[in-house]
Amino acid sequence: MAESQREQKISKEQFRALARLSRLSFSEEEEEQFIAGFEEMITFCDGINSEIEGDASSIREVDAREIALGDLRADEVVPSLPNEKILSNVHGERGYFAVKRVVK
Amino acid sequence: MSGIIKKLSSMLQRGEVSASELAASYITRIEKLNPVLNAYVSTTFEEALKCAGEADKMIRAGMATALTGIPMALKDNICSDGHLTTCCSGILSGFRPYYDSAVWEKLSAQGAVLLGKTNMDEFAMGSASETSCYGAPKNPVDVTRVTGGSSGGSAAAVKAGIAAYALGSDTGGSIRQPASFCGTVGFKPTYGTVSRYGLIAYASSLDQIGPLALSVEDAAIVYDAIRGKDGRDQTSLTTPDGATSLETDIKNLRVGVPEEFFGEGVSDEVKSAIEESVRVFERAGAKIKRVKIPAFKVALPVYYIISCAEASSNLGRYDGIRYGYRAENFSDIDDMITKTRTYGFGTEVKRRIMLGTYVLSSGYFDAYYKKACLLRGQIISEFDGVFRECDVLLTPTAPTTAFSLGAKSANSTQTYLADICTVPASIAGLPAVSLPCAVGAGGLPIGLQIISGRLRDGTALAAAAFFEREAGVTAELCAEVKL
Repeated sequence: MAESQREQKISKEQFRALARLSRLSFSEEEEEQFIAGFEEMITFCDGINSEIEGDASSIREVDAREIALGDLRADEVVPSLPNEKILSNVHGERGYFAVKRVVK
Repeated sequence: MSGIIKKLSSMLQRGEVSASELAASYITRIEKLNPVLNAYVSTTFEEALKCAGEADKMIRAGMATALTGIPMALKDNICSDGHLTTCCSGILSGFRPYYDSAVWEKLSAQGAVLLGKTNMDEFAMGSASETSCYGAPKNPVDVTRVTGGSSGGSAAAVKAGIAAYALGSDTGGSIRQPASFCGTVGFKPTYGTVSRYGLIAYASSLDQIGPLALSVEDAAIVYDAIRGKDGRDQTSLTTPDGATSLETDIKNLRVGVPEEFFGEGVSDEVKSAIEESVRVFERAGAKIKRVKIPAFKVALPVYYIISCAEASSNLGRYDGIRYGYRAENFSDIDDMITKTRTYGFGTEVKRRIMLGTYVLSSGYFDAYYKKACLLRGQIISEFDGVFRECDVLLTPTAPTTAFSLGAKSANSTQTYLADICTVPASIAGLPAVSLPCAVGAGGLPIGLQIISGRLRDGTALAAAAFFEREAGVTAELCAEVKL
């Protein structure tokens, strides 16, 4: 038990917190299986800590924001998609998306 | 050079066949082969015949381009107005987009004939197309083998001759790897050269649309038709006017061979096929240089951290309210969203959403996501250095030939290794083409990957066209699929 706990990269509580953030739920049985596979993925991702030969001191970080915000277009108003088209394959009522009551 | 687009186009122009007859012949072949291959997950035959009628009018009016009247397919994550587009996921079941993607807008304006949507890994998350909610497509070369993924249905459709060409999307190799497994040409253009407007997002800083085709020339024709700046995708880039030239001065071509791509996990038959391909360039007078990309060893984990982080955010939009599936029997709106996502997403997608949430969460952000972004910078920098000395790099596309259906589906991280040779170019946003270079054991195709510098898409395609001519290994149509 102690051995398996020491090897665990993620506790059940952490896993459940992640599931809540991800808006997913798992049964007890699924949780066991998923945690095992999830730990394998984390171990795989720990590969970023491998040593790489060469000088990396001048390297700068590149993230998605830099790639995505290169060339912004002018903020011009263009026609929107018609409501009836957007609501054509969802739960729509009287021109709105219909959901269960939020404010109680 | 085999190819099919120019042949079909000239038959259409000369009136030897009409676009309507051509569409009907493809539909007949789809009806025969698709029940086994499972390459298409939805078909648009009625629309195809209507488009073909319009194409015939364009041809008669002298307004045809090379793609007018040519039957083709779109991957199931590329939107077209009114046609089922589900990302092969239960959560988008029944979803019919209400607008055209930029690529389909461009192709349909040229009179392309859409036959349907092709099978793929759910939300493009996989390397064998086995995570599709419709079941895996089968490789036309050997129907007991996977097609590769995630654009597996597109590769299978092209290889089996049930689409003259197809569009796929490539996030970490999803065009090139299935092209390698099925023995077609697959081209991932420079990130930004093809608009992603209407491509259902997986990892936005990596996703790129590109063609799968039967020759480099066919891939270049399609690429020329879909590329260019689009105000609806702020990452899209302006590309040069005119057709991409496939001519290359081979004696002045500097060819790099990065040693890391030939390491552990790459099979002997793949290694020797690529070394033989290098000799084809060498014999023709190209200058060969052995180069190093040390950060290759971290490319796969960097890719999975960044792509899952972006996916966890991109897939947050699936709440059962605006599109697709909605769970029944829920207590309140939070319960509805959680149940919709729990029942709607498949296991691999859930796994990647969870991993993405983990690497972005407080306490792990710096150790994983921030470090991966730093290493992404290092990979880009190493490629920049190599491309100061070389025009193209030659590598394997995949470490092995197509594996058996079901052989790796139980073990995710084993499947991830199938992307080891393709993710570095994706991380750096570089253009890369895969084309068949040899036939391995069991008659299975082996793919050669040619990578060039950013916005030097023509250099990669021209080098590939040279190889295709010189080596005489072409992406032949699999005319007889052994069902």
